[in-house]
Amino acid sequence: MLEISALAGAVAGRVLADLGAEVVKIEPEGGEPFRRALPRVPTHDGEESAAWLAFNHGKRSVTLDLARPEGRDGFARLSATADIVVCDWERLDLDTMDALAGLARAANPGLVWTEILPFGRGGPFERYAATDTTLQALGGHLYLNGDVDRAPVRISLPVGLIQGGAEAASAALMALWHRMRGGEGQRVDVSVQECIIWTLLNSTMAWQILGLNEMRGGAIRKERANRFFTRLVWETRDGYIFFGPVGGGGGAARLKSYEALLAWMAEDGITDDILTRHDWNGDGQFFIPQADYDTVTAVIMRFIATKSTEALMERAVRERILLAPISSVSGVFTNPQFRARGLFVPLHDPGRGLEVELPGRWAHLSATPLRRPAPAPRPGADSAALLERLTERNTA
Amino acid sequence: MSPDTSRAAPAGLFDGLKVADFTWAAAGPIVTKQLADNGATVVKVESFRHPDSIRLGGPFIDDKPGINRSGFFADFHSSKLGMAVDMSHPGALEIIRPLIEWADVVAESFRPGVMAKWGLDYDSLRAINPGIVMLSSSLYGADGPWARHPGYGAQGQALAGLHAMTGWPDRPPAMPKGAYSDSVSPRYALAALVAALIHRERTGEGQHVELSQIEATTQLLAPELLLFQATGEEATRSGNRKPGTIVHGVYPCAGEERWIALEAGSEAEWDGLCAVLEAEELLAAARAAGEDALDAALAGLTAPREPFALMTACRAAGVPAGVANKASDLLEDDVLAAREHFWPLHHEEMGTLSYNGPAYRFEKTPSRLRTASPRLGEHTGQVMTEILGFAEADIARFRAEGLLQ
Repeated sequence: MLEISALAGAVAGRVLADLGAEVVKIEPEGGEPFRRALPRVPTHDGEESAAWLAFNHGKRSVTLDLARPEGRDGFARLSATADIVVCDWERLDLDTMDALAGLARAANPGLVWTEILPFGRGGPFERYAATDTTLQALGGHLYLNGDVDRAPVRISLPVGLIQGGAEAASAALMALWHRMRGGEGQRVDVSVQECIIWTLLNSTMAWQILGLNEMRGGAIRKERANRFFTRLVWETRDGYIFFGPVGGGGGAARLKSYEALLAWMAEDGITDDILTRHDWNGDGQFFIPQADYDTVTAVIMRFIATKSTEALMERAVRERILLAPISSVSGVFTNPQFRARGLFVPLHDPGRGLEVELPGRWAHLSATPLRRPAPAPRPGADSAALLERLTERNTA
Repeated sequence: MSPDTSRAAPAGLFDGLKVADFTWAAAGPIVTKQLADNGATVVKVESFRHPDSIRLGGPFIDDKPGINRSGFFADFHSSKLGMAVDMSHPGALEIIRPLIEWADVVAESFRPGVMAKWGLDYDSLRAINPGIVMLSSSLYGADGPWARHPGYGAQGQALAGLHAMTGWPDRPPAMPKGAYSDSVSPRYALAALVAALIHRERTGEGQHVELSQIEATTQLLAPELLLFQATGEEATRSGNRKPGTIVHGVYPCAGEERWIALEAGSEAEWDGLCAVLEAEELLAAARAAGEDALDAALAGLTAPREPFALMTACRAAGVPAGVANKASDLLEDDVLAAREHFWPLHHEEMGTLSYNGPAYRFEKTPSRLRTASPRLGEHTGQVMTEILGFAEADIARFRAEGLLQ
């Protein structure tokens, strides 16, 4: 598989490399620009982008000047031996992408040519300027996040680009499977805007069916089924948890969860009668006066503030209370469930002086386990070996 | 769409692939939807005593709850066949066993232990059909101390770190819309599943693909996890700001709850934005005064502007801009219309609704949403006779025994 990428294409390559593909990055002399993206970490090579290192380990690198005939010739010859090429718009402008697609597909008609674009192919919109944040907005997700007294807020991660990359990996594999069964090679394009739309889950149906555009919320929001505002973020002694203890969308699991919470509060001597004044999670759950909801919330909030996040989750797992820590990066890194399952795998990169663990075991495949991380390549590290191999093949 | 056009349509990429689908909620059904919308025959098996719980999640047609009335359920079940079986009935395997023999893929998303209870864990499936590829997707994963803890994507996005990365640094984390991990994990699950199908195509060997929805979602934080270990620096939510950019924010526009995301990452984009807003000097002074002053100046300039016209002007100037689309905007979006993202499909109880199609386009094997979501047990008879080859007398007996609905 060949990859000409900034972030999104590199994520596609990451998924395919984890699944066992030999991924070769095509870079300009000195390395692709994304190697220097912010934030950077210090290594023996100077500073390198954290995102670049996280998504490019275990790949190979060939440097080619794609603006020159020799470089394009090298690219065409590499394409002739590849199954999949992935590229993204942050690395290649559309004209270059089209020119390279022409070369590669002429050299290899069976190729799966995969493009990650802001809006996909199909009209003048192919060339609209776009970024991850503007696509979080255009996909409809940004509108739904954040406190009502401030502007809507993004997720502070490039979620559109990363999901676009993962989507491209699965679509490219689908096209490859089709080709292996006698189908043709083809172009696959992925729209990041449409990837974001898929994170909404029910918003476009809610509009069509109820004429309802949901409103954003922060720690407190009016969920779709509710006639009142509910608190979903609670401060603990040392952090935050997500929890919807009462009201608005229950079921048997919610009833049991609330009973277990009351039992625990009773152990601590908290038995305020507001806690049982309503059928909080039963038939009456959608018709709770806001004032009563706020009163019960205040009692529960005082209780939660006395507990550590870890103690809350430990008891929650034991008693089936439907809460979860709102994990910070360090919380994700130390999560006992991830640790028990071996999500984190070591990346030893002595050349860079980098010893880290990455969330590399994201699936368990019984016959073909995901590959373990290996160091990321230096620019052009494999140019000689890979281009020579092609020359030998041509002269043989 | 009439059956006639369906016959004339080009072949789907997964034509001929056979899928026994035991998934429920969102993360699992979104994976099997990709198979179904690309031509696979997907039989969704529901236990009629415990149907898919999101059938009971809104929005409901006419705001009236009902087993066949949920738009939430519908969107994830285009192109699938639905059969209803009492899975806890001791005779259930009499029907399910031939379905496993027929299938290339078995997909499920139950809490760990449920499939084993029914005699349908991977080892049992493999004994029936040695080449089977099984996909198991759960919230926390099949093992580990939290494996059987109940929860949904809202807990998932909190534990995967996305929730803490959303909101303002001076406030508690804001809840990102949705059950976010339910929408991230299908992309990873599908890649792993298709890789397993490719391996089977090459070697004839099936396998079990098992993943946790939350673990798959942590891929979004891989750079921040690396940064944390290499430098001790812990990334957190930063409102709408992004280091390394000149402008990166969400600003008010004319109209009710109208907002636009604007970004300038280069001097050329900055110049373009200043020209569009016709305020070079004011913005230059604000930029010199710092981020807060710049955001305030921009908000003052955008506030009277019509958002879509402003976006068009920015695009003409090469400036990245995105209106914060509401759901209603998406259904009228001209890019999505040109891409034919939405598929109008007719359902007997729900009427015609626009379903979401995939984010990818195949040049030669286009995806096609063939039918609306199945009503509970809508295709039980069809699956029993046409796919599993049961005689009418058998089906009558199963119905009499309470096994089928």
